[in-house]
Amino acid sequence: MKKFSGSFAVTALMAAMSVSGLSQASVTDADIMQDQKTVDDVVSYGLGPRGQRYSPLDMINTDTVKDMRPVWSFSFGGEKQRGQESQPMVKDGVMYVTASYSRVFAVDTKTGDELWEYNARLPDGIMPCCDVINRGVALYDDLVIFGTLDAKLVALNAKTGKVKWKKTIADYKEGYSITAAPMIVNGKVITGVSGGEFGIVGKAEAYDAKTGKILWSRPTVEGHMGYIWKDGKKIENGISGGKAGQTWPGDLWKSGGAATWLGGTYDPDTNSLFIGTGNPAPWNSHMRPGDNLFSSSRLAIDPDTGKIKWHFQTTPHDGWDYDGVNELIAFDYKEGGKTIKAAATADRNGFMYVLNRTNGDFIRGFPFVDEITWAKGLDQNGRPVYDDTKRPGNPSAGEDGKKGSVVRAVPAFLGGKNWMPMAYSQQTELFYVPSNEWAMDIWNEPTAYKKGAAYLGAGFTIKPINDDYIGVLRAMDPKTGKEVWRYKNYSPLWGGVLTTAGNLVFMGTPEGYLKGFDAKTGELKYQFNTGSGIVGSPITWEQDGEQFISVVSGWGGAVPLWGGEVAKRIKHLNQGGSVWTFKLPKS
Amino acid sequence: MRFLVLLVAFSLSWSGIAQARYYDDVIASGEIYIGAYKNFPPYSFERDGEPAGVDIEIGRRIAKAFNLTMKVHWITPDENLEDDLRNNVWKGHYLDKDEANPLAMKHLADVMMRVPYDREYAFKRDGEGLLINDQVVLFGPYQRERWQVAFDAEKIDRVGTVAVFQYHPVGVEIDSLPDFYLTSAFGGRMRKNTVHFFSHTEAFDAMLAGKVDAVMGMRAEVDWQLGLHNKPRYKLAENGFPSMGKQQWDIGMAVSQRYRQLGNEVDVVVEQLIRSGEIEKIYADYQLRYELPGLYQDVVE
Repeated sequence: MKKFSGSFAVTALMAAMSVSGLSQASVTDADIMQDQKTVDDVVSYGLGPRGQRYSPLDMINTDTVKDMRPVWSFSFGGEKQRGQESQPMVKDGVMYVTASYSRVFAVDTKTGDELWEYNARLPDGIMPCCDVINRGVALYDDLVIFGTLDAKLVALNAKTGKVKWKKTIADYKEGYSITAAPMIVNGKVITGVSGGEFGIVGKAEAYDAKTGKILWSRPTVEGHMGYIWKDGKKIENGISGGKAGQTWPGDLWKSGGAATWLGGTYDPDTNSLFIGTGNPAPWNSHMRPGDNLFSSSRLAIDPDTGKIKWHFQTTPHDGWDYDGVNELIAFDYKEGGKTIKAAATADRNGFMYVLNRTNGDFIRGFPFVDEITWAKGLDQNGRPVYDDTKRPGNPSAGEDGKKGSVVRAVPAFLGGKNWMPMAYSQQTELFYVPSNEWAMDIWNEPTAYKKGAAYLGAGFTIKPINDDYIGVLRAMDPKTGKEVWRYKNYSPLWGGVLTTAGNLVFMGTPEGYLKGFDAKTGELKYQFNTGSGIVGSPITWEQDGEQFISVVSGWGGAVPLWGGEVAKRIKHLNQGGSVWTFKLPKS
Repeated sequence: MRFLVLLVAFSLSWSGIAQARYYDDVIASGEIYIGAYKNFPPYSFERDGEPAGVDIEIGRRIAKAFNLTMKVHWITPDENLEDDLRNNVWKGHYLDKDEANPLAMKHLADVMMRVPYDREYAFKRDGEGLLINDQVVLFGPYQRERWQVAFDAEKIDRVGTVAVFQYHPVGVEIDSLPDFYLTSAFGGRMRKNTVHFFSHTEAFDAMLAGKVDAVMGMRAEVDWQLGLHNKPRYKLAENGFPSMGKQQWDIGMAVSQRYRQLGNEVDVVVEQLIRSGEIEKIYADYQLRYELPGLYQDVVE
């Protein structure tokens, strides 16, 4: 036994030495802005600030991918599972990856050896609104920065995993939490917040990445004052939307929701942060007539000042929980010899939108799911044309205390597409959208209680639309709105997508497979079962002349938490928590 | 986000070792864990560092009847009752993990207080026809609760009907039934005067500060605040709540369905406490009106 532990110590020491032997340059703003072009690292969430998730690497391609095989697997260990939605980062031979329950690991990319681990100490009695997942870190200088379930930003020393600074972003007791990966733009760390129904207000905030000092704060609900800090002084920086009470009744704007729970992307061309916002509160739309700005919207925010440049609201007066948080990805395309500066997003509500990213103007919109019931279509400005019979009922209409009328809405509240990021290939000029085909029945539920009091809840069940699949990976042409190919998956898709110049699209499935597809045809070219469902986002990078692909495996997230017919399709899937790394064999 | 928030409610698939206990184990341990909501006056709260409130007092008497020491299991409320029952009675919370001892039992209440006693709720079924609350036994009704308005008589002469709130601001706790009622009933005519607070206590404080003219909350909450701030200008209203679904409901307790025997024994004690007038006395000590739950009202009749 002694001998064993001795040899283990030596191995660990050698691992540590081999890492300290590497030239660990710190991450610069230029590294982050150029991340899409530099293939030897992954230093931004989305492989570049635009979040295109496209890599110019092509060693692994449609011809060679069949030979790809795992080189190591790293376990997060412990009892803490419940869904691994992280995207790893890679810099100078070290991978930085988060796990559920606010954990961060640094791993040697060559061997899979652990270098350090950070386990956030969470307060007693914490009731995080939005499960215990985490989507990844930001890297800057010699820091690894991530958000915790108790709504703090923590900056760790990249070499040691020791805390350099820690900042409370919001009060977890009021229902705030952070699960998204922070974003770095010109030395600032940008974060949003997750929040429950307890009267939170969404916001985007910028902090000095090196020190953690706050720089500006921008609330995402109309009527709230924004602030900017100059020389340590907090200065009023304009009310979001100009003034209160324009699109909200009474004082409901004070607790209007619009949580920025998925963070955002950044477009260097227009110097704009694109940040999405969640549904408005309270959940029942009949209590808050009006558009309820800036809920269920995409906001373009100036990263230097925190001012809102423009907004585009996908679901005004939301009544179905169609958060508008999904990523808005900047891309250019040619039309009639002109370059169009566009950005695209696939919303929970089932529509995909192409916007002019310089001003937020609607260019076109189209369904990316087979059925949409809640709206008859989009008007020329991209505003939904509502079908009023498909809006969930008014709670005060259930006077007799009976179950309210049942409304069938498609997509279900989990969305035509949820948080899982899509990818845009500069090679095929297509978006690869991980989508789901499901419906929900929703009604007012009078037999409900909360904290010892009678309450009025919403009852609902989610139902698959098709017997043989829920998940659909779609290749969508943003210029025509046409679907180029689709791949159907039995269980719902909940992981991100990666596309490469090797004409490949990678995606994980809840069944545990990392799958690779021909980007032009959708033909399945590769699959490997990682042992637990994949709900994370794959990455790729080059090291010592070889192309690597990594993905986090560990089933969980929102899908398994729901009963009904969807649960039947996934209840046999096992939890887990590990990183898998692949490459081609050396020739 | 709303539904993401609720989603944990349906996480039935994870097993965990939970530490609610059999009757014999509870008796042998010398202690009983009484689950009560944290910071929720007048039901359960801390006063001078000591647990207080009517639910705590009843818990003390239950413990005493079995010659046990009462330990309070404080409950941070989740989104709804299903969540609270899962987190505190039968399964435990997913964040209740002991790094040093991964096999440690989760912290649970042996008996949870302030659980509505409602047959329809207890036997509620999901879209698949399966029982939703089959992991718990709801028993031991000990109080009937209702909604109540209190108002500032220097601002409003009287509150005969809720129609006055078309003209006067009224404070409510956010995401509560009074919130839903006042913002959506009668075509939303009272909506612009509905002012939201994080708790009933904050709403009442706003009335004391002259920011709202009335508050709506649970009867015991309103009685408690009126007792604390004993001034004639703050009065109970006499209005009804037309078109409101649930105007009154009974409050009881819950145990895990595995520990039915514990529930049965506690049930007997609670019945004695009610019939002897002990519970009514506890409410009176806190200056609260007491109404018997329906089960006892029917018997009296």
